Amino acid sequence: MPPPTRPALEDPARAFREHVEPQIEVMLRVALSLTGRRADAEDLVQESLLRAYRAIDRFDGRHPRAWLLTILRHTHVNMHRRRRPDTLADWDRVGDARPAFGAARQQSAEDTVVDGTLDEQLAAAVATLDPRFRAVLVLVDVDDLSYAEAAATLGIPVGTVMSRLSRARRRVREALGSDALSPGRQS
Amino acid sequence: MRSSLRQMVTCMWSARRLQRYLDADPSAPLTPGEIARIEEHLAVCAKCADSAYELHALHHALAGWSQRPEPDEASLTRLRGYLDELTGSPRGPHGQETP
Ligand SMILES: [Zn+2]
Repeated sequence: MPPPTRPALEDPARAFREHVEPQIEVMLRVALSLTGRRADAEDLVQESLLRAYRAIDRFDGRHPRAWLLTILRHTHVNMHRRRRPDTLADWDRVGDARPAFGAARQQSAEDTVVDGTLDEQLAAAVATLDPRFRAVLVLVDVDDLSYAEAAATLGIPVGTVMSRLSRARRRVREALGSDALSPGRQS
Repeated sequence: MRSSLRQMVTCMWSARRLQRYLDADPSAPLTPGEIARIEEHLAVCAKCADSAYELHALHHALAGWSQRPEPDEASLTRLRGYLDELTGSPRGPHGQETP
């Protein structure tokens, strides 16, 4: 993709739309992780889009996702007065975790590790993590954000993302036991 | 004796960089030299290779985790509509009008 500086000067609204539209889904996903409620997640993204649009002058055309996630975090803190803004809500609160989803998925080579037993073990292991470690693990490994995007979402430095991620992964691996993820399991 | 000490030092060196090697995140890149050294080590050290495999498997297990809530399609549609409203309804490249 060419650097999108020109269109932003010529037609800011259109440039904004082009940058932001592809990020709405990930914004909603992260908002769901932050709020733990579907209605709150949608409100949070809508309010964030409005704030982002008003701050369009401060956007340099680079890293739109990290920029939007920073705005999402600020909006979330403002709207919900979070006591610990570097953690996520519990998914239990969403109330519709879908255990059937994994079983119904098409099987691919990567999916062979994700059988039902492992899924339950994972849930138990992740649930016992310190909320700060769980937040980083969920954003990077589940929501597939980069270190910088996770840092923007939680308002912490990239180095802190990396150290929390490392500890979170180590604890989940320990909780699962060495067999759960070992190569032999797939045969 | 000397070779096992050397092996241990390389294991520690690799273990400290394994996450960055596997994640390949743009914020924390390894140098080509570091990558080559890790790959060389993973090829000969079963302990570090197992560790790398487990981390890789964990990432895929979490990425495909069935218990994570999925966002609503209806919410997505409404939010896309809201973006259209904010920026003026979507129009072709020749629509130059601005409010
Ligand atoms: Zn080793």
